[in-house]
This record gives sequence, structure tokens and C-alpha cells, in this order.
Amino acid sequence: MAYLRSFIASAFALVFAIGAHPATADDGEIVVGFATASSGFMEAYDKPAEDAAMIRIDEINAAGGLLGKKIKVVSADTKSDRAEGAKAGLSVIDQGAKLVVVSCDYDFGAPAALAAEDAGLVSFFLCAESVKAGIQGVGPHSFSASVLAAVQGATMAEWAFKDKKAKTFYRLLDTWTEYNKGICDGFDWMMPKLEAQGAKLVGQDTFKNDDASIAAQITRIKSLPQEPDAIMLCTMMPGAVSAIKQIRAAGINSMILNGSGVDGSYWLSAVPDLSNFYTPVQGSIYGDDPNPEVQKFNATYKKKTGTDPSSQYVYPGYSMIDVWAKAVERAKTTDADAVVSELEKMNAEPTLFGPRTFTKELHHQNQARYLIVETKNGKPSVVGNWTISEPVPMDALVKK
Amino acid sequence: MTTVTAPTLPDELAPRKKPPRFWLARKTIMTPILLSLLIVVIACLTVMTGSRPLNQAVIDVFVRVTLVVGLYIFIGNSGLLSFGHIGFTCLGAYAAAWLTISPMMKKSALPGLPAWLLDTKLPYWESAVFAALFAGLAALILGKVLMRLSGIAASIATFAVLAMINTVYSNWENVTGATSSVVGIPIVRAIWPYVIAAVVAIFIAWAHAISRAGLALRAARDEPTAAAASGVDIPRERLVAFTISGAVTGLGGAMMAHSIGVVTPDTFYLGLTFITLSMLVVGGMSSLSGAVIGVVLLSALIQALRWFEAGVPIGSITLALPKGLQEIALGVIMIVILAFRPAGLIGNREITFFNRNRHK
Repeated sequence: MAYLRSFIASAFALVFAIGAHPATADDGEIVVGFATASSGFMEAYDKPAEDAAMIRIDEINAAGGLLGKKIKVVSADTKSDRAEGAKAGLSVIDQGAKLVVVSCDYDFGAPAALAAEDAGLVSFFLCAESVKAGIQGVGPHSFSASVLAAVQGATMAEWAFKDKKAKTFYRLLDTWTEYNKGICDGFDWMMPKLEAQGAKLVGQDTFKNDDASIAAQITRIKSLPQEPDAIMLCTMMPGAVSAIKQIRAAGINSMILNGSGVDGSYWLSAVPDLSNFYTPVQGSIYGDDPNPEVQKFNATYKKKTGTDPSSQYVYPGYSMIDVWAKAVERAKTTDADAVVSELEKMNAEPTLFGPRTFTKELHHQNQARYLIVETKNGKPSVVGNWTISEPVPMDALVKK
Repeated sequence: MTTVTAPTLPDELAPRKKPPRFWLARKTIMTPILLSLLIVVIACLTVMTGSRPLNQAVIDVFVRVTLVVGLYIFIGNSGLLSFGHIGFTCLGAYAAAWLTISPMMKKSALPGLPAWLLDTKLPYWESAVFAALFAGLAALILGKVLMRLSGIAASIATFAVLAMINTVYSNWENVTGATSSVVGIPIVRAIWPYVIAAVVAIFIAWAHAISRAGLALRAARDEPTAAAASGVDIPRERLVAFTISGAVTGLGGAMMAHSIGVVTPDTFYLGLTFITLSMLVVGGMSSLSGAVIGVVLLSALIQALRWFEAGVPIGSITLALPKGLQEIALGVIMIVILAFRPAGLIGNREITFFNRNRHK
């Protein structure tokens, strides 16, 4: 059985070789670990935000570092797989990470974030927009760099009513993901307040992201006595394009309100001359952000990666490092509890992409300034900005 | 280390005289002992390195050992390919989640659970036992129907079971959280519980294989007509194996839930089904040693490829394979192994100490 013996021997050799990774934390530097996807489908979401985070890290290092130490980056690939995610998390922790950055999506980032929580370290979701990405789904040391999906729905509803004088609303929900449901949850919370002021929800319907046709839903919209002023469309790619196309092809010209998930111009050629279409974004990728600093960031991003940002989901990566570094400076240590307590003191902390607030109950944004992007004749551009009049309360966020 | 054709009776000992008690057990006990030693040695080496990612990787290997040994109990002994066992893993994992998540979190995330379950919080090892029993019970009920089929019809029917369980668990919002992750499962990072689970699975598989039911089932696998003529109730023996293997894969599911701390229905679907089946096939479908060694070797291979993907520093340069090559290389290596050894690496032999190689 020589072959068997040699197989087992080589298996051990391999296991040993892998175990022999040197741990590389020294006192002169602070390690930030990225347990994100650099292969698999999540890479498309993680990579851009990670690049943005690197830009902020480079800026901090160029300005002398954090607490006088350089920030060093280590990373491990989750391969867009949950079990690998847990390993990736442990791997960056073993390499001395003080901050563990995990995947954009709650489901795929959670295993690594749980590993960090277990080790008593601060973890940040790159751009997860579910309320679970934080205290509720991981633990007291976990945060998300983005804004809750519910805020997007609430923002669009209030803005359309107050700014665009929309009176009648129609709610169309794609039940595929938590994110979609989150947008509509925010809309549902805002709607009664607007109805008290004269708005009206004239109907609601659901579909599934991979439905080839939403003809039935469209028929129901068409059979309303009057075309609604605005349709709140809680959906995401890839089904969003087909839904939008079908709504417009049916001759419905209502405003279409969306979540940030449809930001980006890459799909617009599929619906030629799309108009009356609105998206909330944290920063504009279309070169017209009112803040010149954002435009400067876009230029740096292009210089570094060779492309323009593809959607607003690039930006949370930058704000994430920004707020964490500020908290570390204020706490004068990278110790997790001290940093968390500094983060929780942040109230409307200014960042490049709007103010950020964290509290003891919520490590996520339940109120945020959004720029509103209007797509007119197939050209998106910023037409205003909106901050919801009051934060979305916990009981609208957490399922009863 | 040598091999023998494990539990087949040698000609000269045929029925004439009843063999002494535990004769077969004594003759074959070395196999599970050696396999368990292999597991324990790997665990000891891992603990010695002190590396947490390696620890997690090895925990993953042991979970898969449990799953693949579970598969072997049915597939190896009955000769029927089952695509449905990962469904029982799913049942086990969710049962573990239901039993171990703190009641407060359960009330908000899974409000549809019965009240007694909502208020239960068990330690992980108790929950693992109940999860295994629950999966075994489900296997018993489903198997009662399925085991009347044979050949390809049975395989397709097991696949339907997988799809069915997946669909139910992906949509039963109040009880399984539908497609959202179920969180709050206590994470067990120590390696020893996984070692125990794998060793228990190995001994269960061995005990079943040498039991009356196991022997009858293997006879039915090799010569169905002759076995039936000798009084073997084939559907019944298959059902026994199906139930036991359902329970063991359920145990694997519970351990998996505790190793990651998150369960979602899509974890327990085609991906896991095919990786566990290929580990079994590469190792040797009708051998317990094959099941265990297949997992260990393929897992080591996957780890090595991942390591090369991440980059290997040689002097001042880092050599790295393109991302995603791991899956391709793994496929190619499996094809090569199967081309040269169609019955798998170990074939239908078992590893033992003594050189008592007998022919069929």
C-alpha cells in the first residue's frame, strides 16, 4: 500500500505547510483585515468598495498614519462562500487585524463578522443594507458602512410627495431579497405620515425578480381609474431592468421611485430614453456631485483602478475607514470596546458622503442625506438631495 | 497497513459451522480504529500549529467526514446513488438552530415555531443528538416510500426529496426564516466536538456494515435476485440503512451549523451534494476507508490549491495561480483519479493492520 502511505504523507505535508503561515503583526503598524470576496459573484460588489477603502487608507498613511503608526492591509478571499467566509475572517484575525472588514451582503459577510465578534474585534460590513448587519445580527462590535434599505424607500416617498408633489402612490415589491423588502418597509412606514397630509396609496402588488413577464401586475396598474403619480419599485438587478422596461413599454409614464440598487448607467441602454426615473445615491458617479471633494475622489478612484466608479456602492468603503480611523484617533487605541464607544458617540459625523450616526442600539444609518438622481432621456444627473424628516424607528426595521 | 476484502466470508468458513461470537467484529474492528486514529492525529497536528484558519479548515474537513460517512452508510452498502441526503443535513442543521438559538432571538426571527421549542435552549451537544434523531425520523418516513424503488428511479426520487426539502425551507418564513440567514447559533471553535462526531459516525458506519442488516444489504447490492431468494427483505434493509445514514448526515448538518454559526437553505443544496458525492466516489464508493480518505485527500487538495491561489512567496517573488483555478484543477484531478481508478482510490477494500488479503 505504498501509494496510500505516500498520499497520506503528502496530505500531512500540505496541511503542515498551510499551517506554517507566519503571523505578521508588529508594533509599528495597525492591521486592517479584509475578509471579502476576491472571486465568485460577490467580488463585483466587494471589490469596488474595497478599492475605495484603500484610497482612504493610503490618504491616512500619506498623512502620517493612525496614532503615528502606518495602516497595513491584509486580506483573505471568501470565494463568495459562507464556510470560506468564516475561515477568511479567522485568517485575517490571526494576522493581527484590529478591524475586520467583511462582504457587502449580510448573508455572506456574517460568518466572518461572527468570527471577529467572537475574537472581540470591530467588524464592518462594506455596504450591507439590512438591519441585521450590526448589533442585531452579529453583535455589539459590528457595524455597517452603508445606509439601511428602509431609509431609501422612506426618502423616495417623502421626497416625491414634498418636492415633486406626487399625490397617488403605487407600491410594487419584488419579494426576492431582504434588501427589496427593506426598501418597501421604509416606504410602508413613511406612507401613513404622507397620507395624513393628503397623499394616497392607490394599490400594491408583488412580483419575483426572475419573473419573465409582469404583465399581470401591469394590467392591474393600467386598470386603475387614473395612472398613479409615482410607482415605488422595490427591486434590484437583474430583474429591475426587465420590470422597468415592461412598465414603460405598457405606456405607464408615472415617476418610478427606486432604491440605490439600480444606480449606475451600465444598464440604461436596455431601456432607451428612460425618463421620470429617480434613484437615491450617497454620492454621484455622474461627475456632477455638488461636493467637489467627491469629484476629486472619483478622479483618484479612476487613477487607481483605471475605471470610473460603476455605482454608488463604491462610496461606503471610503466612509467606513474614515469613521473608524476617527474613532481610533479619539479613543487613542485600537482596543475594540474603546473604539466602539467612540463610534457610538458619533452624531451626524460629517463624511464625504453625508453625515453618519451610530448609537448603542443601531450601528447603521436610519436617517441619511441622499442625493436624488433623475434619469431623463436616458441621462442620469443629480436633481436635489433629501434627508427624511425623522429617522426610521426600530420597530419599522425589525420584523414584529 | 494492508487491505482485506472486509466482511466477506471466506469459502472455507462457509455456513458449515457457526462462527464464534463477535468474530466478524474482531476481524474488522481495526478499520474504524485506524480511521479514527487518522482523524485524531490530524486534530492533534492542527492544535499544535495553533493557527485559527487551519483549525477552522480542519473542522470543515471533519464535518465533511461525518457527512460523507453518512452517505456511505446508504450508498456504499446499497449501491444506490442518493442525491437526497444533503436534505437531511439541512433538517439537522435547522433542528440544531431551533434548539440552540436563545429564546429571545428566536421569538423575533422564527415566531412560527411551537411554544415549547421557542422556550428551549439546549447545549450544542444535546441539540446535535436531537438533530440527528430528527433527521433520522424524517429519513425513516421518506424512506418508507422511496425504498420500494430501485435503480435510477430511486436516485431520481432522492433528488426530488432534496428539492422538496430545499423548497419548503426556502419558503417557510415563520419557521425557517425562508431564504434569510438564521443567526445566533452558538459557534463551537474547539476541534474536539467535531472529532467526536466524525469518530461516532465512523463507528456507526462500521457497526451497521457488520450487522445483519448491513450484510444482507450488501448481499442484495451484489446479487439482488439471490439475496431476495435467500430471504432478504430488500426494501426493509435499505430502509434501515437509509434511516441510519439520514441520522448521521443530520448530525453532520448540526455540526456544520455550529461551525459557521449561520444557516441558510441554499448552503444545503446542489453544491454540497456534489462535493460530498464526489469525495465519496473518489475515495471509493463501497468502502468506509474510501469515504474517510476521500474527504481528507480532496480537502487537503482544495486547501493546497487555495493556498496557491492566494500566492506562495518564493524568494522575493510571489507565485499565484489565477483566482478560480481551484475549482477547475479539482475537477481535472478528480477525472484523472477516476480514469485510473474507476472504483475510487481505495476501491472496495478497507485498511487494516494485518496482511490477510483474501480473494472474493
